Amino acid sequence: MTVEKNSQRILSYTRDVMAGYPREQRFTLAMLQDIQKKYKYIPRESLEQLSDHLGVPLSKLYSIATFYKALSLQPKGDHVIRVCDGTACHIRSSMVIVDELAKILMIKPGETTSDGKFSLETVNCLGSCAMAPAMVIDETYYGKVTPSRTREILNEYGGVDCE
Amino acid sequence: MIITINGRQCEAEHGEFILDVALRNGIQIPTLCHSEALPGLASCRLCIVEVIENNWSKVVASCVYPITSEIEVVTHSEKIKRMRKTLLKLLGARAPQNAYVRKLLAEHEVTPAARFQGDPDENCIMCGLCVSACDKIGAGAISTVYRGIAKKVSTPYDEPSKTCIGCSACAGVCPTGAIKVQESHGKRIIWKKEFELLSCAVCGKPFITPEQIAYLKAKLNQEIDEILCETCKRKAAGERFAQTCADLTASKGLLR
Repeated sequence: MTVEKNSQRILSYTRDVMAGYPREQRFTLAMLQDIQKKYKYIPRESLEQLSDHLGVPLSKLYSIATFYKALSLQPKGDHVIRVCDGTACHIRSSMVIVDELAKILMIKPGETTSDGKFSLETVNCLGSCAMAPAMVIDETYYGKVTPSRTREILNEYGGVDCE
Repeated sequence: MIITINGRQCEAEHGEFILDVALRNGIQIPTLCHSEALPGLASCRLCIVEVIENNWSKVVASCVYPITSEIEVVTHSEKIKRMRKTLLKLLGARAPQNAYVRKLLAEHEVTPAARFQGDPDENCIMCGLCVSACDKIGAGAISTVYRGIAKKVSTPYDEPSKTCIGCSACAGVCPTGAIKVQESHGKRIIWKKEFELLSCAVCGKPFITPEQIAYLKAKLNQEIDEILCETCKRKAAGERFAQTCADLTASKGLLR
């Protein structure tokens, strides 16, 4: 797909998102979340389009997009792996899980695999302390994760090709 | 209503902020992020004072605390002085080499804490006054981005902003002079964007960007026929006033 065509699709989708909400500033975050959900990041085109539509300076939208950890300005992989490193998970060795995933995927937290399949992130709490150490892939939660289970879990998402 | 500041009776309107009343009565409260032209931000916290009401005392930021009853205010109690010193210590850790912060530290007899190793090149104290000024003037080109220790003031994507008009109001209000403006050979560079500078029609000092003129025209909805710098504009207005007075005196034969 050409760059222009992709850009056109992004603009068209953003228009659809904007049409779904009243044209008011207070829906900014909801709109950004919708765009984030679809593309797993906020494309620059979308942010500029939203700024025009709502009459909010681009700087303010950029501020919001960089403030929330749930919003990203960098493209993400097809599947986003979020490993919890909150207190409960941390004392149950969540960093071992992160290290294991980093070794399998050959990326550091915050990076995306070269084939664009997986992104690895750490988050401060998933609110699932009872099943620590926890991780979430896209929207599926995995509790009491062990290093040996990680590869198995990754296989559910087509596994890792580059080894 | 009448409020008491440091034992002195001061007249105050309902809803007025303590800081404004204090300043009007010549009572000094230290501030960093305060500008009379902009709403209070309460981010530097230096303007904290003690408010005593119904035998209860509380610490508030005077720049945003509205007066709603006849309270008693103490601006330099031992508690406030101690807290202000801590705040200054932290500000000193944030911008250790900044001249203005150092001056404040010296004035308040604060020794910088050795355990804080601040960045010697850091001058910004993250008060957000520049962002407030940019919003108020209308360009809204800068904002605070990221969060926590990575937080900073920046244009979107750290690139030269399309909306910035190069007015340098942000640099003008900055209490610590953290925003760099380069001016030379009729050019101004601010936030990585280069602007041409137009000169004053009288004294020839380059001082305004074409973007600012265009912005003013749109905002005032009128033509700007002569570009005058602040000093020359004031001088021209003064001369006009003097001329009018002279004309009036002459025509009516009034004598002073």
